[in-house]
Amino acid sequence: MAKDVKPTRKNLMAIEDRIELSERGHGTLEKKRDGLIMEFMDILDKAQDVRSGLSDDYEEAQKKINMARAMDGDVAVRGAAAALQEHPEITTEAKNIMGVVVPQIESSRVSKSVDQRGYGIMGTSARIDEAAEAYEDLLESVILAAEVETAMKKMLREIETTKRRVNALEFKLLPDLYDSQEYIEQKLEEQEREEIFRLKKIKEKKEQEEKAERADTDDEPESGDELEQATAGGLPGGD
Amino acid sequence: MSQSQEIAVVGSPEFTTGFRLAGVRRFENVPDGEKATDLDAAVTNVLADEGVGIVVMHDDDLEYLSREVRGEVETSVEPVVITIGASGSGGGGLREQIKRAIGIDLMDEEANADNQT
Repeated sequence: MAKDVKPTRKNLMAIEDRIELSERGHGTLEKKRDGLIMEFMDILDKAQDVRSGLSDDYEEAQKKINMARAMDGDVAVRGAAAALQEHPEITTEAKNIMGVVVPQIESSRVSKSVDQRGYGIMGTSARIDEAAEAYEDLLESVILAAEVETAMKKMLREIETTKRRVNALEFKLLPDLYDSQEYIEQKLEEQEREEIFRLKKIKEKKEQEEKAERADTDDEPESGDELEQATAGGLPGGD
Repeated sequence: MSQSQEIAVVGSPEFTTGFRLAGVRRFENVPDGEKATDLDAAVTNVLADEGVGIVVMHDDDLEYLSREVRGEVETSVEPVVITIGASGSGGGGLREQIKRAIGIDLMDEEANADNQT
């Protein structure tokens, strides 16, 4: 990349501007990455609590439904499940954590009273009610886990992207720019040295020319005297 | 983003019945014997449904998914897939993603416990 740029002062100034901007961007992105990791750590703690709660709720719900199946039969449990009329719904709102939009999930109609469930009280047993209640609790945990895990996934993506940008700046863009800067500086210095050398040569040549000229002008009057002497001595019987 | 969505369950009839008892009406029943062939299609179907906000699956069922669908399940955000079951780790995908993004396995409980002591 360094050799692709023209070694001119204009390009050097442009590269210096880009280096300044990239260094500033690198610093900012590093801060963003660190901030995101800190936020992520908080969410991770919460996620682990939610996860263990989810496992407990699932085990409990499994026990309850197995009991209902054993005592009332699978058909009765499936029949009750098919009769449900109230269905849980979720609505999501956006929340912004350091530029990452994460959802806030709100649920409705998850926990229901016995009469809201839709299956008759007479045809079913308390074990089915207990199983339904346990699964409603499990659904609440699932919704909470979904909120936390979505936030985690989104933040992880953002962390990865930011990390990649930081690395690209640190290991690719900035070194290339420094190389280009060094290359242009060296070339300009070389050009300057050549220019100085050329000027010195021109100066030397001019001095030599001047010297030669001066020598010529010094020689001219001497040849004039000789001529005069020659004319004076050469004509003895001139008068 | 503030639209009403549903919860969906995918798995064996034994797995989905409990959730249906809690009122979940969007479900895909795939009997154990057919999981190897039909689970991919069931999961893809649910993931493509815009009315679904959360998909619940059993941890063990991830083994039956093809590599492509499994990757989709592990990284999907809308809808988000929650796996529950024996391991309780939330699927290997999240753990791998954490390792890749942060550089440390933060979900390694043994290592974390060692660090704390």
